[in-house]
Amino acid sequence: MASISIQHLYKQYGKDKQLVVNDFHLDIRDKEFLVFVGPSGCGKSTTLRMIAGLEDISEGEVYIGEQLVNQLPPKDRDIAMVFQNYALYPNMTVYENIAFGLRLRKQARHEIDLAVRRAARVLEIEPYLDRKPKELSGGQRQRVALGRAIVRNPKVFLMDEPLSNLDAKLRVQMRMELIKLHKTLGATFIYVTHDQIEAMTMADRIVVMKDGVIQQIDTPETIYQKPGNTFVASFIGSPQINFIEGKITEEAGGGLAFSTSRFALRIPSDAAELLRKHRKIERRVTLGIRPEHIGPEGLYSDSVFTGIYKIDELMGADRFLHLDIGQQKPLVVRVEAHYRCEENERLRLVIDMSKALFFDADSGERLT
Amino acid sequence: MARPWQALTKRRGGSRLTRMDGFQKLLTLLLIVLSVFMLLPIVYIFNHAFKPYHELFVYPPTFLVNEPSLQNVNELLAVTARSTVPMIRYMFNSVFTSVLAVVFVTGVSALCAYPLSKHRFPGSGFVFAAILLTLMFAPEVVQIPRYLVVSGLGIMNTYFAHLLPLMAMPIGVFLLKQFVDQIPDSLLEAARIDGANEFIVFLRIVIPVCMPAVATVAILAFQNSWGNIETSALFMLDDEMKSFAFFLSTLTNNLANNVAMQGAAAVASLIMFVPNLIVFVILQSKVITTMAHSGIK
Repeated sequence: MASISIQHLYKQYGKDKQLVVNDFHLDIRDKEFLVFVGPSGCGKSTTLRMIAGLEDISEGEVYIGEQLVNQLPPKDRDIAMVFQNYALYPNMTVYENIAFGLRLRKQARHEIDLAVRRAARVLEIEPYLDRKPKELSGGQRQRVALGRAIVRNPKVFLMDEPLSNLDAKLRVQMRMELIKLHKTLGATFIYVTHDQIEAMTMADRIVVMKDGVIQQIDTPETIYQKPGNTFVASFIGSPQINFIEGKITEEAGGGLAFSTSRFALRIPSDAAELLRKHRKIERRVTLGIRPEHIGPEGLYSDSVFTGIYKIDELMGADRFLHLDIGQQKPLVVRVEAHYRCEENERLRLVIDMSKALFFDADSGERLT
Repeated sequence: MARPWQALTKRRGGSRLTRMDGFQKLLTLLLIVLSVFMLLPIVYIFNHAFKPYHELFVYPPTFLVNEPSLQNVNELLAVTARSTVPMIRYMFNSVFTSVLAVVFVTGVSALCAYPLSKHRFPGSGFVFAAILLTLMFAPEVVQIPRYLVVSGLGIMNTYFAHLLPLMAMPIGVFLLKQFVDQIPDSLLEAARIDGANEFIVFLRIVIPVCMPAVATVAILAFQNSWGNIETSALFMLDDEMKSFAFFLSTLTNNLANNVAMQGAAAVASLIMFVPNLIVFVILQSKVITTMAHSGIK
């Protein structure tokens, strides 16, 4: 198995065109499950394709293990890739699809047979070995694509949105199976997705990208709790984090408060200290708070304000209330499913200010 | 024995007609009439070949044969028996060049279409445009340049001269490129990651996936070569190098006001037509797939 080192990677199509990947620098540990996540066109797939050798590198270096692979063709990089559309060879049976790579490597026939059947058993596709891909369902095709990848026992698995073509239920199931597979194989996985739930549930570390630039690299917990900027904060988490525009004011007792035109919230002392250090007193900032850290009065001790109920979304166990608090966007609050409100009802809400994040209003960088 | 689900399918099949509205029924009827109309020349060729002389010249002409006879076949055999070069030699020339033409034309067209479709290189757009442009030229326009090339290469009176002018088939490149365009790039990339070089990708993935288009090009190449008299007329000096199509055309030339040999001519048309029909019937399902995929249905 292998670690991967990506050093100052750039990708540009044509000379004067915009950079698709801009100074991508990252070390991936051996056996790590790394997820690239970001919106469409953020350069995550391009980066993956450069690691695979399917795309030329404009500038920078990629090492797999100790070997510089910039000039190596894909077949010599000892990688396997799973594509979004599975890319199964339609003219071959499932068995042939899985065996194709081994045949090209001129392995003995009995070894190929053994390896194909073992992979088929692991992925539970043994009954379909004689079928053509068009006779399989989406989930089965996905397993064949995985089978084709695992059978060669490569150092690195590259996956380009492999679950996006599956239905929601199957996606959850396959997510779990991929995690299991990663544990069983003990290989390095690089996984590209635009689905933040996939990133959160599967990754050892997440790389959040936007416009070809890495926004943050960290564990799912840290990315969720301490996002580096407003983009990461808004991209990770469903429903999205709430952003409230306001300014930092000094309170009579010496503490700091976050003030909007409608309400003021007391800021805990550790956060206040950091805001002072950043010289944000009497300056505009953005407060970020996740829907689960706001609730009807009684949940938390302080920081009470009011919002006007507009609509709600029932998610089964939870209900998300959309409230007007005088900001451009409504405030989303997570409550128990049984919580009901009248239209335009004024609700008294409390915020757990220890979980509040403050961002620079201009750059979007996290301050606390 | 009919099984319950078969009965069910039958019922469903029957109900499709009842589900059609009046306009759809009218359209279906029109299409059926049109298909029968398209079939008429084929029926005519078969019937004409077996008409005895008095039926061939009857006025008004009849469509179907009344008293089928092998008289015309015998006449053709008698004519060929008088020929200095045995007919089997012409037949061999035609079959040999047609088979080679099918192999080479499909090979060259596919090898040309694949890089034009899936590889980016400077001038690829220009090359494809130039290939399409050649579709505009009538064969007569290129006869003299072809002659100069063939004689310049010193291959006059050889099988190469039969093959070379047919080798570049722009319509074949066009059809195959349209088909290869639709193969997802990821399929080829998956093969490259699996360890395939470009030739393996082409041979094991591109060609099998494009089989319908390859079959279509094969039919077109066969038709081109089988019915070809141009290369025999222009590049072949000896009679034994000429094609069967050329031989038959010499039998049937200048018959507009003749009575003699009309029967032989009718059988000759049938003989020229039948191999095309057989090849087409075998490959027709693939051809229809190509037409549906290349956007020229």
